[in-house]
Amino acid sequence: MERLIIEATKSTPYIFFDPEANLLRIKGESYPENAARFYTPVFLWLEEYLSLQNPNQITVDLELPYLNSSSSKALMNLFEMLEDAVGSGYQVLVNWRYDDEDELSLECGEELQGDAPSLTFDFIPHVK
Amino acid sequence: MGFDLLNFHRELAKQGIIFCFRGPVSQQVIEGIGQTLRQKMELEDAGMTTVKKVFTIFVEQMQNVVNYSAEKVGEDELSDGELRVGVLVVGREDNRFYVLCGNSVLKEQTERIKNRLDVLREMNEEQLKAFYRERRKMGASLDSKGAGLGFIDMARKAGRPMEYGFAPLDNQHEFFSIKVVI
Repeated sequence: MERLIIEATKSTPYIFFDPEANLLRIKGESYPENAARFYTPVFLWLEEYLSLQNPNQITVDLELPYLNSSSSKALMNLFEMLEDAVGSGYQVLVNWRYDDEDELSLECGEELQGDAPSLTFDFIPHVK
Repeated sequence: MGFDLLNFHRELAKQGIIFCFRGPVSQQVIEGIGQTLRQKMELEDAGMTTVKKVFTIFVEQMQNVVNYSAEKVGEDELSDGELRVGVLVVGREDNRFYVLCGNSVLKEQTERIKNRLDVLREMNEEQLKAFYRERRKMGASLDSKGAGLGFIDMARKAGRPMEYGFAPLDNQHEFFSIKVVI
């Protein structure tokens, strides 16, 4: 299976999904005009990846300083897929990276954690 | 000259208006103005959280125009079809930022918008948070191009209940305006 790499734009994040490293990385601001359309290839890739692998540990590395409401919905859908994966034996670790002065980003991560209780979250502040 | 630009310019400044836009809104317009707006606020030493709240409301308002404004012009090569027209004002009053946005809507949509906003106006912070999370967990509603979460997100970032109004434009349309004070 190929890696999924999508370069960042002003309003869409960098996507780097590596099936060999079992790493899903999304980095950057996300407020595309149509979030459902932007994230469709991401969902499709993840669906295929989960169907091909034996259950293992997945690291989800997220650095999302700004998500518009429809991107936040898309991320929730992604987490729901990962929660299903946990149900079938995967372990999922989410690294939530945020600027230590950005209380809204921390809050956003904590709410996602609350709504995806079977994923393990690690909150990683970075200091400027 | 029919239009007094200098007077317009002075009036905007007097009213504490930082930004004013009227015209077709595209994703590129949102990215460009959004970036400049953040720079301007950072230069004024607005805190990170305030800047982000204003930016969030700005993006949701402008994307509402792109998705729902009933006033359209031409064809845009970069998006699905035509461009939608709206008006946006970002300003400062009593030391608080506000975002004011308006666009034409079809008369039959007004009831639904009113109902949605009235529900949010009655909610406190905790209720808005719970409502947002509940709606995010649900599938997107079929008539919604966004996730239907935009208004709730705006209400959560607002410092007080969002004000809105409708004014008649013609037989089929009303002008919808919404003011969010951060």
